[in-house]
Amino acid sequence: MLKRKILFTVAASVFLGMSTLVQATEGKLVVVTSYPPDTTTTFKKAFEKKYPGIKVEMLKKKTTAGVKYLQETAGNNTSDLFWASAPDAFEILKGDDLLQKYQTKVKGIPEKVGAFPINDPDGYYKGFAASGYGIMWNTRYLKAKKLPVPHEWEDLTKAVYHNHVGMSAPSRSGTTHLTVETVLQGKGWEEGWATWKEIAGNMKTITERSFGVPDGVNSGQFGIGIVIDFFGLSSKASGFPVDFVYPSVTTLVPANIAIVKNAPHRETAADFIEFLLSDEGQALLLDPKIMRLPVNPKAYAKAPANFPNPFKDNSIGSGVKFDLALSKSRYNVVNSLFDVMITYRLDDLRTAVKAIQDAEAALQGNNNPAAQKLIAQAKDLVNAVPIDAAKASDEAFNSIFKKKRKKASTKVTGRQAEIEQQWDEMIKANYAKATQLANKAKSML
Amino acid sequence: MTKQRGPVFAGLLIALILLAFLVIPVVQVIYVAFQDPASGALTLVNFSDFFRSSLFQESFFNSFYVAAMSVVVATIIALPLAYFTSRFNFAGAAIIQTLGFIPLIMPPFVGAVAMLLLFGENGSVNLLLDEHLGFTIPFMEGLNGVIFVQSIHYFPFILINLSAALNNVDRSMEESAQNLGASGMRLFRRIVFPLAMPGYVAGAALVFLKVFDDLGTPLLLNVNTMLAPQAYLRISSIGISDPMGYVISVILVVFSLFALWTSMLALKGKDYSTLQKGGGGMLKRELRGGQKIAAYALILLILLLVLSPHIGLTLLSFGTVWSYSPLPDAYTLDHYRMVFGSAREYITNTLLYAGLAASFDVILATAIAYIVYRTGMKGRKWLDYIATASLAVPGVVLGIGYLRTYNDFNVPFLDKPMASWWVIIVVALTIRRLPYALRACVAALQQVSVMLEEAAQNLGATRSRTLWRVVVPLMSGGMIAGFVTSFATASVELSATIMLVSQESDAPLAFGIYEFMQSASGRGAGAALGMIAVVIVGLGTYFSHRVIERSHKLRTAERQIAEEVT
Amino acid sequence: MSSESVGISIRNLGLAFGDNEVLRDISLDIAPGEFFAFLGPSGSGKSTLLRAVAGFGPRPSGQILIGGEDVVDLPPWKRNLGMVFQSYALWPHMTVRKNIAFGLEERRLPAAEIRRRVDEALELVGMTAFAGRRPSQLSGGQQQRVAIARTIVVEPKVLLLDEPLSNLDANLRIQMRRDIRALQQRLQLTTIFVTHDQEEANTTSDRMAVLNDGYLQQVGTPMELYDNPSNLFVARFLGTANILPGSIVEEDGRKVFVSDSGVTFPLDIEGEGQRSIVFRPQNASIHCGRVEADDAHIDLPGVIVHTEFLGSIVRYGVKVGNETLLLDLPHIQGEGLIAEGTEVTVLVARERILALAG
Repeated sequence: MLKRKILFTVAASVFLGMSTLVQATEGKLVVVTSYPPDTTTTFKKAFEKKYPGIKVEMLKKKTTAGVKYLQETAGNNTSDLFWASAPDAFEILKGDDLLQKYQTKVKGIPEKVGAFPINDPDGYYKGFAASGYGIMWNTRYLKAKKLPVPHEWEDLTKAVYHNHVGMSAPSRSGTTHLTVETVLQGKGWEEGWATWKEIAGNMKTITERSFGVPDGVNSGQFGIGIVIDFFGLSSKASGFPVDFVYPSVTTLVPANIAIVKNAPHRETAADFIEFLLSDEGQALLLDPKIMRLPVNPKAYAKAPANFPNPFKDNSIGSGVKFDLALSKSRYNVVNSLFDVMITYRLDDLRTAVKAIQDAEAALQGNNNPAAQKLIAQAKDLVNAVPIDAAKASDEAFNSIFKKKRKKASTKVTGRQAEIEQQWDEMIKANYAKATQLANKAKSML
Repeated sequence: MTKQRGPVFAGLLIALILLAFLVIPVVQVIYVAFQDPASGALTLVNFSDFFRSSLFQESFFNSFYVAAMSVVVATIIALPLAYFTSRFNFAGAAIIQTLGFIPLIMPPFVGAVAMLLLFGENGSVNLLLDEHLGFTIPFMEGLNGVIFVQSIHYFPFILINLSAALNNVDRSMEESAQNLGASGMRLFRRIVFPLAMPGYVAGAALVFLKVFDDLGTPLLLNVNTMLAPQAYLRISSIGISDPMGYVISVILVVFSLFALWTSMLALKGKDYSTLQKGGGGMLKRELRGGQKIAAYALILLILLLVLSPHIGLTLLSFGTVWSYSPLPDAYTLDHYRMVFGSAREYITNTLLYAGLAASFDVILATAIAYIVYRTGMKGRKWLDYIATASLAVPGVVLGIGYLRTYNDFNVPFLDKPMASWWVIIVVALTIRRLPYALRACVAALQQVSVMLEEAAQNLGATRSRTLWRVVVPLMSGGMIAGFVTSFATASVELSATIMLVSQESDAPLAFGIYEFMQSASGRGAGAALGMIAVVIVGLGTYFSHRVIERSHKLRTAERQIAEEVT
Repeated sequence: MSSESVGISIRNLGLAFGDNEVLRDISLDIAPGEFFAFLGPSGSGKSTLLRAVAGFGPRPSGQILIGGEDVVDLPPWKRNLGMVFQSYALWPHMTVRKNIAFGLEERRLPAAEIRRRVDEALELVGMTAFAGRRPSQLSGGQQQRVAIARTIVVEPKVLLLDEPLSNLDANLRIQMRRDIRALQQRLQLTTIFVTHDQEEANTTSDRMAVLNDGYLQQVGTPMELYDNPSNLFVARFLGTANILPGSIVEEDGRKVFVSDSGVTFPLDIEGEGQRSIVFRPQNASIHCGRVEADDAHIDLPGVIVHTEFLGSIVRYGVKVGNETLLLDLPHIQGEGLIAEGTEVTVLVARERILALAG
């Protein structure tokens, strides 16, 4: 009985295995992408229709995992295209010499969207759509909990939103990194971090995946999420009781595509990029399941009413001029700081912020300078950042966090774990002390 | 002992396989932990960083706490199910046992999604509680959520092992205690449970290890102050040189090995399971009226709890929009329609990978068991140790290890890297699930008396003929059990495969579900795919279970007849 | 160590596993302090009967009175009967001392008393030196002693022994059965002993019950049952019996036994029809040639077909009609064997033959 069973399984497997192998390698295109099936299948189908005989393989990886995958497999590369949102990820790959330069043929695409150049100035990766971060919320949730609709990042720092907000971590999601960096650049290093900590103090959770945020808002795990626009727009289009808004401080950044170095199917890869940028391809971005801002202004003619158009509406994404070089100079440090100060110490931070909010509420209509002073001290403690902006961009300091050093001679002192531990000690103590001070202030009122 | 050329050859082959697909890839990954991040020189400084970091201390404590608590909660779930079905005449005992197995065949992250919808702060249960009673229960908050999801997912390991152990306790052991005045809980606590202890410890150790190493559930619940998520977050972050991820991997592996070793030590010389001469298997008792109702109620409640992920998933797969409400707004078949086209490929891939992996596992496990317990080969115990040690290797570590080790190695005739060939997924699954099959086969072999083999050899059968005609047929129950466990768990594996799937057409079901679940409109579709996976693997499991049951019944029936007659 | 001995009465006991009836309408009485054996072949129901007394297995119909109290509806742990299992059922996770203490602990006795009584029990079975060992470190005989000590230490009302000697080798078995008997005598403990070995039953028990196919065949002392079996099964099961099947017919106003093979002699018993003549091999004598029996004997003519020299006796096979009878003669030094083929007459005293139905 068992014998027959195993034989059958083996025979079936061999047969099935053969059929998998028989696929010709010629008419094929392997795309490493961070996009969900809604997006990838739509483009895959359209492209395969236009180029019969070509089979597109969409290889879904989270952006970070995709970068890792391309790095690990570089020696024997089988991927043709890397297709993802965050320009930083492309920068990393570019830095590791894993991308192939390419010049597009399509005309009519502007240089910039918002304040951001659409294409890589060095010619390695191309923007095909724009996206910006914003705030999405669950309308049922807000109604049930009687919460006002937020419009600006500052709104999210209000006590009323305590434990109702969710976001992802910049180290986990390239686009979240952009948002964090945007606020840091828009408000400056100190104030930017202060804003983030006040928002984070209201957070229910920091999700591991960027999709965890719209997922949580959609299902009502938390009411408000900091998400990239298409997550909000496509959730709404899928029928969830949610809505989305761009705050004034946001960056519109291009989502990108690039040919991988030593791509096995270079010609087809180029065709795919051209298709993506063509009128036809751009129109597909407005599919309700995708909902991304096209980079070709002509595509907006067919957009639904109230669909944001960054080429017309100058308020979107123009509030801050995003400095890509600055972002790059402190990329890993910002990620690490966010994790140490917020992600891994969320409970302590939440407790401290809650204590401050409670004390402030108690202070309302009271005149008590001593308590006021304590609250200010508590806030300072919470907001303190272990390093200043200059240090964060310091090349030598950054190299502690980098895998590949530009120059072998770059002096590295200290290890990431060592430095994070020092930060963590300070942060933990600060949050505890802040909680204590805020509680003390409250008891005085 | 006769000539041993066959076993020696097989042993060397297996050693080679384990070396190539377990030891080397893992070493490839973890050696980074011993490198100075700046100079690349060998050092232990990373470990001192680990032990000095308060975050890591906390993570370590949390992982330990969650693993230990999951064992406790899983025990609370598994104990009544195992006890009632093995000790009393219970209508539907086979169904209960199968249902009890089902949580294993759902990818834990899918379970977590469903559990959040049902038990989350704004999930069905809490919304209803809040509306009608004005309070909520934080089932899913922080570590609670991880413990809750993990115990529901992994308790079958305890259930399976404990049931087997309870069934193997000699009836007279219990009867003599009753005769001396023990009954009820005291009888269970003083006699039954200690005697079933080896099975329980084996199951509990598995739960502890799986939870300690598990990545998916804490990640999905956004709990990151645990070791496995810390390792993963650090390893998979872009371009960061932090060796701590690898240090944590080493710590995970070492601690898991330590836990395995401790459980083995605890079991040493305590194998009471073999039936003694003149004793007999279990004679099931009847429950009386009131007790019967209470027992059924308890079991129904437990089943409802452990099947809640499936209930949630079913609702999700048929629901249109489910947002901040106890139940979906409306129901539809659209999600099934949507996945039907793409599901075929995922299903064939899953059946192919899991089927192959489980077959290889059973073959390897039978060979290892035979070599370890029936030959005098030098170093044979190490085959067992190393194969079992793969339990202690987190899936991510193995996945990265394969990418590192086999990416530069081209498959002959195919001209593509071995690391992106679909077979590597099968290899990963085989290695990851080998310990399950191995334990089942070892247990089966230990119940085959050496005398039966000697009798065959005495009648002129060679060693290999004896193996084939006597040992394998007698072990078949255990081999099928091993196959089922390996197959069912391999078909929902994600942590290693997520690193190794190199093209969509190679993706298995769990991967497909994960993909679908990453978009707003794909949640229902992902759930539908999940349901399809559960049904297919569930049916497979049920039928194999029936096969085992039938052969087992046959044997116990013979024994019982023989015994009643004396 | 023992309290008052109690008697056991089993009344109309029946028991079935599903549709399979294993005990049918069994009634018997066991006197206080009696050593009583249940004897029967495999499948006779003797173990099931013992287990029913102890409270294991399906609920039987009928009554089991222990010291006058019907225990049928009491669970095993409330019956206070000590049972020694065939496998001994020593708990491998406990030491010898813990095993023996178990029942006392279940009775919530003070620790000091438990210790004292366990020590006494260990001494009683001569296992004091092994108190700290685990069962797996003991020999079969030692395990047996521990199992007995564990049972009697709780001072049960009745001692139930389920084939306690079957796992021991021959020499040990003889030693142990003497020990058990001696112990029982000392404690004056009502004891039921299940065995399929008649020698064991004969040597230990005061009285015994023979069971077959779920029916109680006969109850009595070993000698009564041997000498006066009430049916052919008991006659055959207890030792060797010569059985001449035939029938009783009336001939000229006299009752005559006619064997199936044609041997005829007058036999004055009640009733007519199918009867078998039964006698034990040692209860006859062999005479060479044709000899006429007197009134006190019957004579059976035959031929010696085989001889077996067994030391103290010589066993002859004598063919009478179609039957071969076995006859034992004491061997006296100097006397030779009767040659095979010799025509002989077998004489059996009428008072030593039984005519059993069937």
